[in-house]
Amino acid sequence: MNVDELVRDALRDQAEGQPPAAPGFADRVLAVRRRRRSRRLASAAAAAVAVVAVAVAVPMLDSGKQDVRPSGGVEQTSVTARPDQSPPRDVIAADRVALAAYYTSRNVERSADRAVSERTYWLLNPKTKKYEKADRWSYVAVAPGLVTAAVLERDLPVRRIGLLDLASGEVKRWIPVDRPVAGVEFSPDGTKLVATTYSQSPDQRVKIEGSDDWDALFMKSYRTGFHVIDVASGRSSWAEVKVGSGPDDPGTFLNSRQDFGFSGDGRLVWSGLPSEPGKRFYDVAGKEVAPPARERHRDWGVEAGVSPDGALVAGQFAGKKWKTSSWILDSRTGKARTEVRGQQLLAWADGDSLVAWDIGPDGNEFHQRLALVTMGSDKVVPLSGFRSPDDTKGRWEPVFAQR
Amino acid sequence: MDAEAQESFREFVANRSSALLKTAVLLSGGDRHAGEDLLQNALIKAAGRWHRIDEPEAYVRQILYRQQVSRWRLKWPRRELSVAELPETGTAPDASGAAELRLVMRGALARLTARQRTVLVLRYFEDLPEAEVARILGCSVGTVRSATHRSLARLRALAPELTALGPAADEQRPSLDYSPVEVRQ
Repeated sequence: MNVDELVRDALRDQAEGQPPAAPGFADRVLAVRRRRRSRRLASAAAAAVAVVAVAVAVPMLDSGKQDVRPSGGVEQTSVTARPDQSPPRDVIAADRVALAAYYTSRNVERSADRAVSERTYWLLNPKTKKYEKADRWSYVAVAPGLVTAAVLERDLPVRRIGLLDLASGEVKRWIPVDRPVAGVEFSPDGTKLVATTYSQSPDQRVKIEGSDDWDALFMKSYRTGFHVIDVASGRSSWAEVKVGSGPDDPGTFLNSRQDFGFSGDGRLVWSGLPSEPGKRFYDVAGKEVAPPARERHRDWGVEAGVSPDGALVAGQFAGKKWKTSSWILDSRTGKARTEVRGQQLLAWADGDSLVAWDIGPDGNEFHQRLALVTMGSDKVVPLSGFRSPDDTKGRWEPVFAQR
Repeated sequence: MDAEAQESFREFVANRSSALLKTAVLLSGGDRHAGEDLLQNALIKAAGRWHRIDEPEAYVRQILYRQQVSRWRLKWPRRELSVAELPETGTAPDASGAAELRLVMRGALARLTARQRTVLVLRYFEDLPEAEVARILGCSVGTVRSATHRSLARLRALAPELTALGPAADEQRPSLDYSPVEVRQ
């Protein structure tokens, strides 16, 4: 026997001894791809707080009173752009939405192989109309109206949610929760909160052997369920949502942070899934229900979601008509209705305009600024300066809320 | 990636991932987890341009091979250790026993560098001619020839049981390219 024959035999023997690839391997691949892509292109979609709604009301901070008041923090004008500012210092807004806050992230090392990705927020002060650093909070959601924010303290998960007066920077009330939370979002009408519960921080980072980078935990979720909280009374319910049990269950492949949010009408709670069917809807008791007709084609990786009138839904990157463009889909059929400029659609500004990340004339896909794009129009209105292409402290992520 | 592309990607992975995984595990020296990672990364790259790929399997295989070679070159310079000792086999293998010899060979293959192993997998597992191996790896035929030569020599050095075996056909032709294939000892 020659040495090459033995090499051949040994390799074939070893290959034949391999068990087949696990079922669901394609979903695993697509899940990882999606995670890397969303991290690369822009803000983590799970953290998006782009609130889409029609009715606007904001909870009063003093409990025990009649608890809603109309919005009115920042005056509504059509477009306020700061194309020379990155990160922005002064308010940015377009029609019904405003950049309510932004944050940067950095990895804080806890040991040689463990770290936590921590956010630092800058919140819009509705009085001064400037973004002010608020480094006490690890997570912030801004209520429609831009007057109140729900805040979580450092060292997630935490057992209380603060209601912050954005003008004074003071916490007016703490809402205690039974189970620790690490993410929070207002309902479209601002009267309720959904808080995602985790048994450990979803922002943990680990060092994978052979890599110098910190990575999110892969296919490891500490998510336990969600609280739905009535802001006025502070009363809350908790629903358990189990992480899937095996490769055949798409609920198994969750991102380490995969928060819950409200459906467009605020009656259901939903969460994205990195693999098909892409999302799941639940009633407030945690029972899985069918998606509402208008949200069936909503993509959790596209923050803008459903249009104000519910007829359209923001879709993924298209790149056909222009180098950077996105699809706008019919919300009921999921079919593409048109293509709009914009690399990544973040929030609906009105019925036919959206705030998006878009690139500039240099064509660099990592060199992005906020821009207002309009269906049926070539026009792009820059709203902010260009964000740093590096994954450094200069790279800020937007948080939108309805004005 | 639209729904149609995702569907075709899923179908491809369902049909071909087990076969591709075999190659990926061989390239990783028998390490199943490393093989899965290698294949996963290759499939992620392929997914990114799925609608532009005519022959997905050939494309994914090419990424597998090139990725493995560049991974060794760029990222894991010290991950694989060359060891002069024989792999632990418990008792001395009976050189006449084919199964034992295959095990010895498997241990020796695991101790090659990724690049050396890749060349042998392409030549002897995929049974590709030198010109095709050169095209896949983006190097000259001469480099493939010398790499094969040195890889086989390295196997013999790692496992003296193999010295009794006859030379491979590839070893009987002169290697025209003497560029260093493996610089670490």
